[in-house]
Amino acid sequence: MSGQTVEKLAYMANQIARNMTFDATPAASIAEHITAFWTPVMIDMLLAQSNAGLDPLAAEAMAKVAAARAHAG
Amino acid sequence: MTLVRISDDALALACGADDVAAAFVAAGCTVERVSSWGMHWLEPLVEIDGIGYGPVGVADVGPILNDDAQLLCIGRIEDYPFIAKQQRFTFARAGKTRPLSLEDYAANGGWQGLAKARELGSVATIAQVTESGLRGRGGAGFPAGIKWTTVANAAADQKYVVCNADEGDSATFADRMVMEGDPFMLIEGMAIAALAVGASRGYVYIRSEYPHAIAKMEAAVRASAHLVAPFVLEVRVGAGAYVCGEETSLLNSIEGKRGEVRAKPPLPALEGLFGKPTVVNNVLTLAAVPWIMANGAAAYASVGFGRSKGTMPIQIAGNVKYGGLFEVGFGVTLGELVMTVGGGTASGRPVRAVQVGGPLGAYHPPADFHLPFDYEAFAAADGLIGHAGLTVFDDTADMSSQARFAMNFCAVESCGKCTPCRIGSTRGVELIDRIRARAGRAADKVETLPQMHNALKAERSLGDEITLLEDLCETMKFGSLCALGGFTPYPVLSALRHWPEDFGAPADREAAE
Amino acid sequence: MGYERQADFGTPEVRSDQEVTCFIDGREVSVPAGTTVMRAAALTGGSIPKLCATDNLRQFGSCRLCLVEIDGMRGTPASCTTPVAEGMKVHTQTPRLQKLRKGVMELYISDHPLDCLTCSANNDCELQDQAAAVGLRDVRFGYEGENHLGAPTDTSNPYFDFDPSKCIVCSRCVRACDEVQGTFALTIEGRGFGSKVSAGLASDDYFSSECVSCGACVQACPTATLQEKAVKEIGKPERAVVTTCAYCGVGCTFRAEMRGEQLVRMVPWKDGKANRGHSCVKGRFAWGYAQHQERILSPMIRESIDQPWREVNWEEALTYTANEINRIRDQYGRNALGGITSSRCTNEETFLVQKLIRAGFGTNNVDTCARVCHSPTGYGLKTTFGTSAGTQDFDSVEDSDVVLVIGANPTDGHPVFASRMKRRLRQGAKLIVIDPRRTDLVRSPHIAADYHLPLRPGTNVAVLTALAHVIVTEGLADEAFIRERCDWDEYQHWAEFVSAERNSPEFLAPVTGVEADAIRGAARLYASGGNGAIYYGLGVTEHSQGSSTVMAIANLAMATGNIGRRGVGVNPLRGQNNVQGACDMGSFPHELSGYRHVSDAATRALFEAEWGVAIDPEPGLRIPNMLDAATDGTFKAIYIQGEDILQSDPDTKHVAAGLAAMECVIVHDLFLNETANYAHVFLPGSTFLEKNGTFTNAERRIQPVRKVMEPINGYEDWQVTQELARAIGLDWNYTHPSEIMDEIARLTPTFTGVNYKRLDAEGSLQWPVNDKAPDGSPIMHVDGFVRGRGKFVVTDYVPTDERTGPRFPLLLTTGRILSQYNVGAQTRRTANSVWHEEDLLEIHPTDAENRGVKSGDWVRLASRSGETTLRAHVTDRVAPGVVYTTFHHPATQANVVTTDYSDWATNCPEYKVTAVQITPSNGPSDWQEDYEAQATLSRRIEGTAMEPAE
Repeated sequence: MSGQTVEKLAYMANQIARNMTFDATPAASIAEHITAFWTPVMIDMLLAQSNAGLDPLAAEAMAKVAAARAHAG
Repeated sequence: MTLVRISDDALALACGADDVAAAFVAAGCTVERVSSWGMHWLEPLVEIDGIGYGPVGVADVGPILNDDAQLLCIGRIEDYPFIAKQQRFTFARAGKTRPLSLEDYAANGGWQGLAKARELGSVATIAQVTESGLRGRGGAGFPAGIKWTTVANAAADQKYVVCNADEGDSATFADRMVMEGDPFMLIEGMAIAALAVGASRGYVYIRSEYPHAIAKMEAAVRASAHLVAPFVLEVRVGAGAYVCGEETSLLNSIEGKRGEVRAKPPLPALEGLFGKPTVVNNVLTLAAVPWIMANGAAAYASVGFGRSKGTMPIQIAGNVKYGGLFEVGFGVTLGELVMTVGGGTASGRPVRAVQVGGPLGAYHPPADFHLPFDYEAFAAADGLIGHAGLTVFDDTADMSSQARFAMNFCAVESCGKCTPCRIGSTRGVELIDRIRARAGRAADKVETLPQMHNALKAERSLGDEITLLEDLCETMKFGSLCALGGFTPYPVLSALRHWPEDFGAPADREAAE
Repeated sequence: MGYERQADFGTPEVRSDQEVTCFIDGREVSVPAGTTVMRAAALTGGSIPKLCATDNLRQFGSCRLCLVEIDGMRGTPASCTTPVAEGMKVHTQTPRLQKLRKGVMELYISDHPLDCLTCSANNDCELQDQAAAVGLRDVRFGYEGENHLGAPTDTSNPYFDFDPSKCIVCSRCVRACDEVQGTFALTIEGRGFGSKVSAGLASDDYFSSECVSCGACVQACPTATLQEKAVKEIGKPERAVVTTCAYCGVGCTFRAEMRGEQLVRMVPWKDGKANRGHSCVKGRFAWGYAQHQERILSPMIRESIDQPWREVNWEEALTYTANEINRIRDQYGRNALGGITSSRCTNEETFLVQKLIRAGFGTNNVDTCARVCHSPTGYGLKTTFGTSAGTQDFDSVEDSDVVLVIGANPTDGHPVFASRMKRRLRQGAKLIVIDPRRTDLVRSPHIAADYHLPLRPGTNVAVLTALAHVIVTEGLADEAFIRERCDWDEYQHWAEFVSAERNSPEFLAPVTGVEADAIRGAARLYASGGNGAIYYGLGVTEHSQGSSTVMAIANLAMATGNIGRRGVGVNPLRGQNNVQGACDMGSFPHELSGYRHVSDAATRALFEAEWGVAIDPEPGLRIPNMLDAATDGTFKAIYIQGEDILQSDPDTKHVAAGLAAMECVIVHDLFLNETANYAHVFLPGSTFLEKNGTFTNAERRIQPVRKVMEPINGYEDWQVTQELARAIGLDWNYTHPSEIMDEIARLTPTFTGVNYKRLDAEGSLQWPVNDKAPDGSPIMHVDGFVRGRGKFVVTDYVPTDERTGPRFPLLLTTGRILSQYNVGAQTRRTANSVWHEEDLLEIHPTDAENRGVKSGDWVRLASRSGETTLRAHVTDRVAPGVVYTTFHHPATQANVVTTDYSDWATNCPEYKVTAVQITPSNGPSDWQEDYEAQATLSRRIEGTAMEPAE
């Protein structure tokens, strides 16, 4: 029962990562998933926090999201 | 030590056979309990060295053993006229073997039919049954071979053989005598049927009123399981409904459902027990099969009359001097059966009527005594032979009362499914009661109401009421779903036609018709 | 449409490749082999008298009115039980037959009341019709014979009466209960003249019996013996409109039968392709809420939720609302706005709401209640197959050999489809049930599951992977199908994963609680038992691994080749009447109609051209994210059409906090629901009886909803949305929902061929309907998967973070029951409440005894989210360690207890697993008391004494 906090977003990202661990290309798939379903505000909020408590795979995926946004932006 | 044979058939038991047997044992004899010869007036019948004595009481035991019972002695049983006149195929072992002795059964021709069927295989077995001309002994007379062929040709993962042993007709006891006296014969017949049609399971559906038959069949099924395997047989007991003798009600009852008639088609041969192809045959039909297989179709077909081939175990009862089981080739006349074999009425009074075929069979006057015992001949005379039970009445019988009995039987036993039987039988009883009171019917309370503008206000005459009874019988005969409602008009209309004076008609009505 | 009885051909249609030609009264007719003489005669336009025959029941042959004469056949066979034969010559009207039929009718009428003119079935009675047809003029038996005229009427059922004095013992009711509904509640008791219809034991009346009030018996009755109370009170209907039920996702077609503007009864329509003439207690009888006194008919507004409501006219309400929307957008930006479309409303209304939000509010912050039910279905099936919907039509089950039901309780949740499924099971199809509870389907009359896998809640993925393990390692996979239709490399990757020892049934048994042998047996049966069909419900989706479970199901179907033909498939049983449609219409924040992502420029261009506005290429917020953002202060206004998120969504306190933090909550609904306690604007909604439109059911079937009566609130919902759009400056000018459907068809490739003209002509259409599938698509993926090659997705079992422990040692799972629907807003306002007055907590006897709890005791149900109180029902239907309740009653608020855990892919809430503790209690929880006080305050309406009970 909380607002849109970084902790909650990090929990969501980690949960996605845990469920896509066995994907053939997990980091890319996680990044694709987050880009497809999260609002830019949510993504920016999580990216803005450097030590958000992301698991390694989620962190790798968020790095890809960040790169893609930088590229598009 | 003297060997004494006494039947343990239910009728013999009812006449005191157990006490008699005990008395012989007490006197140092060896007693064998065998099946019944089927001469009811002689039970308990005692056989020593082929010589018969009957009816025997406990007090007669000493005199018999002292050779001082000439009055009870009937001589050699096999030569006794009632037996000598018969052609016993199905009841060939009657009186001679111990019902549950596999040894006796095998020593007296048992299992030969099944061995033959196993040798011939399915197709040839069905051919034998077809060529024998065997027809269903339950009443409808449908050729057994055709029914078996239908089941054999039906494609299914499971098929059944069901034996209808719900013998509920008045004056019938042949099924009971088979089950109590020669149960392995019925099992052998069912095993042959199963082999012929490709069924792996069978059921014998026995009415609950036959406790001795149930006990013996269950014991026989257990004792012979290894001989008929892989065919598996089971005894099922009815719950007292006459209509469960109708094959589709019987199937519903085995399935655990309400004993209610199914519409046909689909035929049970195609969609029978649990929806699978099923042979449903009467006890006597199946019991005839081992003999046919062992002795050949031609031997069976050489006996009989017209399209009615082979023998029929006829059951004679009611007000008759010599009642019992009389197996003979079709074609014997009704008069011969009643007067010669049966010896006329037990009361010594003239015969007034003979009901043939159970409670749904027609009442025949002596004028019909020329009729040969044959499905077609009886049908042509507005009658039926049914399960071949004869009930004899003397001239004290009130035939309108008998008509009421028939209608009331239908009302009591109706399953309630179809309208003509469910409502018609009750209206029929009410109507016959009014006719028997010899009154017309005045408009009733409802009919006289001014609101009932279309209702007839005038009295309906006795003639109107009889016309209504005839119309009702027509509705029931052609409208009913099964033979219960459909055949009830036979006794009612035959009584009305042959004895109109019992229904209040002037005596000349019969002549006018 | 006037009022006429629907044509009855007497006996059911027969499927056969062979045609048989016969002659009925000289008229030649060709029919499929096996067709009865009665049906053949009806097809020629003739009518043979009948009473016990009706074409949705197997022929029975009891009334004996339908006797005919046939050349070459003895006697007078019954036409209902006699199949036609080639060249057969049938005579249906002869003097002999007339006499027989009159004789039968004379018997009927000798035991039947004569006061037809005051009978509730007057002029709508088959006995009356047939008496007229056979020309009966005199009952010669008189009227004083034995009879049943004094039998008392059973009025125990709230919706219909049973008057045995009028019964003709045709057994149609008994057979309908057996064959159509499959409940076997009725029987014929006694024999002969004493035979009578009985609802079970002699001590039973209809209410105390097994009867589930589906209405099949009432519909089947040819007389007034079983009669709707409404018909007795109002009279015979005079006109009728065919429409679609607004309850569950089965989508039954009904005929609304009217007298003036008054609805008399709803009768299932035999031509309805979803229900085939059947119904349940909700659709058939529970429509009284439409005229309930608590309906809000006037718009209301207020500045803050502690004020009483102020009734205003529509103009004032819309102007106020528009001003608020504009103010908030100006003040906080467009992304502070959002909305929720309704799965209860029509496709057209849903489409307009999302259009209003995307094109009017300028944001993609739109979501729908599918978020909390079947969003994982959309995600999972789109990922694996390429289409966010079930693969089959309901008819398909008739060809299934093995039915696997997982996480669904169709006898309660989807009763009409359950009846169709049970009919197939009674015919011999095998059944596998995967459910923590022993649902009715596991064992019901003449049905017993071959396997029931009573898994621990939350272990669906483990069980499905174990099934896959058996299929792959025992060589039961359909390699030919996989090679032809699926991506072989992905399959191998998946097969290797599931084959690992850690996914074997034996290894997973301690996790799932299911015996390995049972899993092995079930896997073998599903893989090799013929056509295997999977049906699933919210027990699959409402988990932290909901999407994984859907994909695991899809994997199983692909691995065994059970896709792309009748009898097989993956079939989500959708919850609400139009939840499929709401999803199809672009209600999700990331998708436009037809499931096209907002980031797709070509799709956006299509909409931008049609709508004349730019569309945001980024996804919007989902419902839980909206509530999070509201709590955070960045989300300020929401338009909620036909959805009660406060009661239905998880973690009630969180929902309440989010709503309370908003500045403008607009609720568009029938009643002052729980969400309205936090609303500033209330816009009265209309019921499905008062509007035109379409619903799309679980089989993708688009069906017409037709206006039966004028909306008593003044406007259909689409009109309200349009007025709101105009108030904020949009130039919308729809004059009829058909124009909205035309726009949907222009913009949505799967709807290209859909229009009202076709729907009226054809009754319904199953999308996709387009150039590739001009007649629609009953079965999907027939020639290959929509996405190209079927995709196997590895679904690793990741346990939920919701764990039992010393504080919360039990697992709570939630569901629903037959008589109540969803949050109960409708059904609680009908007599259905007599069957379910309150939510009960099911608890296993062992757990109950440990806590000193007996059936009927009040208990406190607590989780880390909150606590509530309700009464206990001790039953072994739930396993030890598991408790269960429903969420139909706001007084219980079961969702106070559920947590904010959700599906990893879609955020569908994890309703089905909550760690809880049960303790004896003697009163409501603090939350319940506080909420009740707040609700009472919030529901005040200025100038009226109205303080609704809820």
